[in-house]
Amino acid sequence: MSSHAINGRSTSAVSLRGVGKRFGAVDAVRRLDLEVGRGQLVGLLGPNGAGKSTAIRMVMSLIRPDQGELQVLGGDALDMKDRIGYLPEERGVYRRMRVGEFLIYMGRLKGLPQLGLAKRVEQWLERIELPGVFRSRCQELSKGMQQKVQFISAVLHEPDLIVLDEPFSGLDPVNARVLIDAVRELHAQGRTIFLSTHQMAQAEQLCQRVVLINRGEKILDAATESVLAQYSPRAIEIVPLGSVDEARLTAATLAGIEAVRPGSPARSLVLSLQDDTEPQAMMATILQSIGCRKIEMAQVTLDDVFVRLVTEHGGHSRIPLGGAA
Amino acid sequence: MSLAKAESRGFRFTRVRSIAWREFKHTVFTKGFIIGALAFPFLMFGAIGLMPLLLSDKPVPVTGTLVVADADGTIAAAMKAAFEEYRHPRAPKEPAATPTRGPLEEFDPDAPDPSLFSTEVDVEVRRVTLDSDHDSTRADVRDGVLLGFIEIPAALLERSPSEDLDISVLVPTSSPAKTTALLSRTAREATVVARVERHGEDLAAARALVHLPGTSTARMSETGVAAPENTQMRFLIPGGFMFLMWIAAFTSANQLLTTTIEEKSSKVIEVLLSAVSPLELLVGKIVGQSLVSMVMLSTYGAAGLSGLAFLAMLDLVPLSTILLFLVWFALGYLMVAAVMTAVGSAVSDLREAQSLVQPAMIVLMVPLILWLPISENPTGWLATAMSFVPACGPFVMVLRTTGAVEPIPAWQIPVTLLVNTAATIGLVWMAARIFRVGVLMQGKPPTPRELLRWARTR
Repeated sequence: MSSHAINGRSTSAVSLRGVGKRFGAVDAVRRLDLEVGRGQLVGLLGPNGAGKSTAIRMVMSLIRPDQGELQVLGGDALDMKDRIGYLPEERGVYRRMRVGEFLIYMGRLKGLPQLGLAKRVEQWLERIELPGVFRSRCQELSKGMQQKVQFISAVLHEPDLIVLDEPFSGLDPVNARVLIDAVRELHAQGRTIFLSTHQMAQAEQLCQRVVLINRGEKILDAATESVLAQYSPRAIEIVPLGSVDEARLTAATLAGIEAVRPGSPARSLVLSLQDDTEPQAMMATILQSIGCRKIEMAQVTLDDVFVRLVTEHGGHSRIPLGGAA
Repeated sequence: MSLAKAESRGFRFTRVRSIAWREFKHTVFTKGFIIGALAFPFLMFGAIGLMPLLLSDKPVPVTGTLVVADADGTIAAAMKAAFEEYRHPRAPKEPAATPTRGPLEEFDPDAPDPSLFSTEVDVEVRRVTLDSDHDSTRADVRDGVLLGFIEIPAALLERSPSEDLDISVLVPTSSPAKTTALLSRTAREATVVARVERHGEDLAAARALVHLPGTSTARMSETGVAAPENTQMRFLIPGGFMFLMWIAAFTSANQLLTTTIEEKSSKVIEVLLSAVSPLELLVGKIVGQSLVSMVMLSTYGAAGLSGLAFLAMLDLVPLSTILLFLVWFALGYLMVAAVMTAVGSAVSDLREAQSLVQPAMIVLMVPLILWLPISENPTGWLATAMSFVPACGPFVMVLRTTGAVEPIPAWQIPVTLLVNTAATIGLVWMAARIFRVGVLMQGKPPTPRELLRWARTR
């Protein structure tokens, strides 16, 4: 994928070409090519130590790449700070500062005018389900609440590009849902969102496109839907009405079925189809032979794809030693 | 760099202002600062003011028997008379036409004031001959039975006694220093009295002849007003200025060190750097803490100047001195701040910072250690050389220029200003380079060599 320019304006919000970064003896990121189009919601996936945070820090110009070219919003991230919102992986707030004061301070640093800033902060606190903490000290909040405060500091100035490094890690499902909704809303407003995560379920829910890196190298870059379609298992999942063992034996005798294995949950079975088997016809055949409480095409999850690809590419990454955090 | 050029390169002064204000507000408007940096010193000054009352000399009782061995008993008799006088001092009827104080007082400013002993002096003087056996007397002194034993060589009564001759004063181990001083002084005075009388001279006339006249010194200011000279204050004022500068600079610089470490350890630094550049953050922090130091300077400075005004000595600190002091302060503060911020950015906790700060602290302690020698001799080679040493130069120059005990050569002020300004720019530049790399570093603290490498990193 290449970066395009229309009327001199780059269509890519983030563009990395052959970017590499080495810490001592470890290649944290190797020749990474990546394009995030304006208005896209792209997930950077990878196991721990894959190089996601290093890549994101390079995007934010917090660290300089050793090689390659990097552009953010058509220029250097250092010159675009007011147009970028960033939630780092390692959260941090001024512990003794009051929440409202902290967010107003961050807003001022992002170039927002003082006038109306307090109101904007209060609105965001309401929106993110943190009402009444404006005057609380940051140290009085739970870790999850502090994370939400930081999220507000990343989006308060309505940036064109929002970069979120592991935004949902450490959050309970309820709070994760609140942030997911906020991210969706920001994306719907036309903002570009580039987030890293190793929580596949959330990436699957949110991202239009996923980029998977392992050991600093890109191993997948495609639209989420096409990834799921590409890695679809060609199988039918059933929950039999009667005995599971009997259903397994019956299914194994059906023509067009390659293999039968237990599914999840425990009372389900996954019937793999032969290459020339037509799924709709086979579903009708199964229903005639086995009484089913439930029958559907088996679906692959991003989690399955992730595990498969990472395993194929040599397992988990080495964690970079030393260097920039 | 011009403002427009700086702004065009992404350096926003509005961001710097926000950082500086936060830094200032969260340092000054805290209980710790108000109590520690403002209230405590005033309480300390108050306590110092009360010291003379608390430590005022109380009469020391001097009672007991003193054995005096002299040639003919004249000295013992004179000592007896002196102790009687201490016990029952004569009230001066009118100012004496001729000095009545003893000649030793004229030449020995450290001699104790006899009035301290006047209320409780009850010394019995027992005279013995020089050639008698003194062993039992010495034993009595050792056991504390006697107040002391004084042996005065006969030759001390001659008209021109040898300068090598001394009076021997033997006192018990537990004898208070003031008692010992009184015995010695009385013996010396009595020897002089006996000697003068022995040679038929008039003691009062002799005293009048050797009396040292006092002086009344005044300095003629540029406006033609003669201000009374105050040598002691001229030594104290440079010290006051230098300590004020040191305390203000170090309090703020230390804050820079701790807040930078805190921002690193709490991980807030990465959030900040997503909004501002490392240079903006560094400048904002240094400016903010410089405002903190100005609060300290203004508070202490106003208190000091009020004190001088109260003592009618405000002329000792002309406006030009204050302005020059502010210039030196700016340079000194920036140098210390640069060092502390660079160290703060490179380490993860205060313990690690100690090892890196220590070498700098040794250099910065030099002006404190050399305060007296430099104040006494501001044009000496030591003072001159130290003025050119980066980091301690501004502090030394404050010592040399604020007292005007001895005017320093005129060329040295612009030249040292130039050298120290260059050193300040160099140190701030280096700190900015180290800060840029250090704030995002984690793990073990860097060695000084690594710090230099960071400074060279593009």
